[in-house]
Amino acid sequence: MGFFTDTSVCIGCKACEVACKQWNDLPADGSQTGKGVSYDHTGDLSASTWRHVRFVELFEPSPQLREEAERALTNGAGGHLPAIPAAGAVDVSEGTHKLGDWVFMSDVCRHCTNAGCLDACPTGALIRTEHQTVVLQADVCNGCGYCVPACPFGVVDRDPIDGRAGKCTLCYDRLEDGLEPACAKSCPTDSIQFGPHDELVEIASRRVAELHSRGIEGAYLYGAGDEPEEQLAGGLGAFFLLTEPPERYGLPAHADSPVQENVVPATLAAVAAGLLAGAGTVLAFAAAARRGRGTRRGPSW
Amino acid sequence: MSKEHRDITPALGTRGGPASWTPAEPGASVGLAREDFGDARWSYLYKTGDTGYADAQLDADLVSEANRRMRDAPISDVRGPFIHAPVWSGMVATYFWLGGMASGSAFVSLACDAAGDHRSAAIARKVALGVVSPAPVLLIADLGRPERFLNMTRVFKPRSPMNTGAWCLVAFSGSGALAVGCDLIGQPRVARGLGALTALFGSYLGSYTGVLLACTAVPVWSGSRTILGPAFVATATATGAAATRLVLVASGLPHGHPTRRALGTIETASMLTELSISALGERRLGDAARALRSGRPGLYFRGAKSLVALGLSLRLLGRRTGAREHELASVAYLAAGLLFRLAWVSAGEASARDDAVVAAMARDRGGPQDQRRPWQARAVSTRRSPLPLPGVVRRAYGEAIRRTSLAIERRL
Repeated sequence: MGFFTDTSVCIGCKACEVACKQWNDLPADGSQTGKGVSYDHTGDLSASTWRHVRFVELFEPSPQLREEAERALTNGAGGHLPAIPAAGAVDVSEGTHKLGDWVFMSDVCRHCTNAGCLDACPTGALIRTEHQTVVLQADVCNGCGYCVPACPFGVVDRDPIDGRAGKCTLCYDRLEDGLEPACAKSCPTDSIQFGPHDELVEIASRRVAELHSRGIEGAYLYGAGDEPEEQLAGGLGAFFLLTEPPERYGLPAHADSPVQENVVPATLAAVAAGLLAGAGTVLAFAAAARRGRGTRRGPSW
Repeated sequence: MSKEHRDITPALGTRGGPASWTPAEPGASVGLAREDFGDARWSYLYKTGDTGYADAQLDADLVSEANRRMRDAPISDVRGPFIHAPVWSGMVATYFWLGGMASGSAFVSLACDAAGDHRSAAIARKVALGVVSPAPVLLIADLGRPERFLNMTRVFKPRSPMNTGAWCLVAFSGSGALAVGCDLIGQPRVARGLGALTALFGSYLGSYTGVLLACTAVPVWSGSRTILGPAFVATATATGAAATRLVLVASGLPHGHPTRRALGTIETASMLTELSISALGERRLGDAARALRSGRPGLYFRGAKSLVALGLSLRLLGRRTGAREHELASVAYLAAGLLFRLAWVSAGEASARDDAVVAAMARDRGGPQDQRRPWQARAVSTRRSPLPLPGVVRRAYGEAIRRTSLAIERRL
């Protein structure tokens, strides 16, 4: 089972974010208003935010405003918040022209085929389930934090208070009862679709063709429909229809499980170096012993 | 933000308790649920034909061509955040330092035995054990849920460097402790054998930390995947030799003893090796190396390099004057080792936040992958057992560890 998130029909209402928080009993992250850069007050996926509607705006604040905002943010609650974007700082006619570039992307765990977090997890807390999803078992996780940098998409994170890592489970409990995940259920435009993966890929591919035929040539799928050698992390269980280059959404253009990519060459180099160092130490002693027998010169050592 | 004041009391169950996704009433029917996720298919979008949502013909080539075009277009606008920064504190870097020092001391004990200096070898074994014993404490303290530290050994998973490292730490401390025990009860031959085994485990204990960092999406770490292991081993050998040397000198190893000379040579040679490997790695990293140069990691790095330079000049000076300079040099190398580990660990944090570098590195990863060598093959991530144990035994063991962890947690 998987998610197909079609950003071309997303209206940025954040109903999925709220539904996810409610169903999974996730705590609030605290308000982060006044970022001065975006109307998106969530900012990022985290251990307590498993769905996040990313706002990608081209309403860039002026450098002065941005600086002022950063200063206010570092000062904490006592800092004076600047007036946020538009008026004054932005050329309104240009801004209106760019309004069409304000896009949303409802971000979520990808449930990768080659999942970096699952490969990295030392406790076996992260598992692949019978629904082909990647789930973190909260009763096993000991909060080692290795999955956090091992995720190439910046999904999983460790909660600073709870101490464990957290991420989307694709509503494992709901799936067990035959219900669709909370975010997909709540999505008013059906931008988030849930179903068997191959069925979703077919709908998504037809949607891309449909958009192309309507002249939206930039529409493409992120994480599905690729040639086998170009797949993202072996294919994503939760994939997206995007209309802008991936970097604009904070997505890497190519990704794979960092563990599978690096563990063999890194281990070979490391163990070889380890054995060499051990052998080198022995050799250094042998050399010193031979020299020691010859000239015992100077008491300095 | 205001995370400290956040209420995280769950609506159901207890905080940190077992996952709550077992049905309250097994087999009970759920209102509105339909067979085969039928409730998910109410959508008008699934019914093609009347909405114009996805009426076009299926064309796989069009999709893969569109994907390639957009993913390989030149980078125009980079909007982060891309990846999450690692959450490890300075305790992990300190553990890397101590673990490396212990493995270096194990090498020294092996070498002393091989050279026939059994007294120094026995001391080196004690140093290795003494240095490695605070390591688990540091690692456990850095966990988000320290009470569940036992779960590290719940499975054996060769794919995960942290798991193999935890097992290696257990094996190293175990054989190191046995070796020291044999020394104490007067079984020198057994102690020597165990010391050699400890050194073998040490060759992984000192190097796996580099592998652990390399197996992440952080550009500065994964970009130097073949550099980190060797560089860490070099620091490990240098700090291990320096620590052992200081202890040996304090325990009254006479001036001009070949062991003192050999240890001094090892320290200097491995520190120089480390510096040249680092320089090579920094050159290969390109833009990603800026995480190593600026800010706090840059400060640590410069500090480490200056301390190595100080150690080297003290060594040269020591040739003319007394032995005190050599001891000071060993201290400088020890400190340099710590700064070096701190630099690499903190550089990861800076690098993960450097969105431009993360995006650029992801682009570099693309291109034809059909010339992959066999060991570059990718597999579906799932649980596979490397040990031919019957499933019942594995499950029983894992379940026992999990329950023990939870019991410890409840007790505390």
